[in-house]
Amino acid sequence: MSQSKTDTGHGSEPGTGTSPEPRENIRTGPPKLVPGMVIDEVRFAVERGKIREFARASHAGDAIHTSQREAAERGLPDVAATATHVVASGHYRSQAEMLTTLGLDITRVVVGGTGWDYHRPLVAGDELTGSRTLVSDEAKTSRSGRSLRLVTLKTDYALPDGTIAVTGRETLIERG
Amino acid sequence: MTSQIKGGRFGPVTQTDIVRFAGAGGDFNPLHHDPAAARQADFEAPIAMGQFTVALLSAWLTDQIGVENLRSLDVDFKAPVNIGDVINFTAELDVDGPDGTLSASIRTTVGDTTVVTGRTTFSAERATLAGGEGSDADHLLED
Repeated sequence: MSQSKTDTGHGSEPGTGTSPEPRENIRTGPPKLVPGMVIDEVRFAVERGKIREFARASHAGDAIHTSQREAAERGLPDVAATATHVVASGHYRSQAEMLTTLGLDITRVVVGGTGWDYHRPLVAGDELTGSRTLVSDEAKTSRSGRSLRLVTLKTDYALPDGTIAVTGRETLIERG
Repeated sequence: MTSQIKGGRFGPVTQTDIVRFAGAGGDFNPLHHDPAAARQADFEAPIAMGQFTVALLSAWLTDQIGVENLRSLDVDFKAPVNIGDVINFTAELDVDGPDGTLSASIRTTVGDTTVVTGRTTFSAERATLAGGEGSDADHLLED
């Protein structure tokens, strides 16, 4: 069973005691985002059927994605996922929730870029835990003078023994 | 002797292609399949999600070099991909590194428009590129 949880990593709620809170402790506006904070966590299994489906949607023709014999001939214990398979974690975590956590307006956000570092190929049977963290949150100005907010996120996809198989990154651009 | 990564092409992109990828990856943002939602976002029609184009790009790449040899892939999205687009993939190998790792720059275009730029690194140990032993000689480049 897959699960996701959100941890914004910021301070606790103001108390409900009878004495008034000092003004500095009353939080106004969106939560403060700190580089390194965990945005969300996702757990999912790399499955043979999903590999096949995703390979078909990617138009990947390599038999390594569908033939266990081919995979074995190339040194893998089972069929290999395609290079962008971790995108299928979209079934297990909420992009909308992530945007809310980050205080981003979905109607003004585009994905500026994405990427992955591969430490070992993903194969059917792998159980992954993906921890998404904030790398940076920057204000910039576009060439046309428009204000932009650039949020860079990183997801480490770890195997049950804790080793990271794949690291993903994505850059979100919110136009002012 | 220098090998090269063969160029590739996909398209024309259909709504069905996008829907198939949406189902595979779990991206049900209506911008990519709902004409009314796309118009509301000031697009004439639903557009492909960036991850769709990257999936095609990565498949084109790994069908040649082997997904098990891939070490990194990084892309920037430059322009949207629309239904009806024919997407062209090209890569230029960098000068070989000494440690058995190859790198290449990637460009993805629709007509004259660049839609994706990127870089990839991969292990040269078992990757068989065009121009390698026993493969099509049309793509051999002599040093």
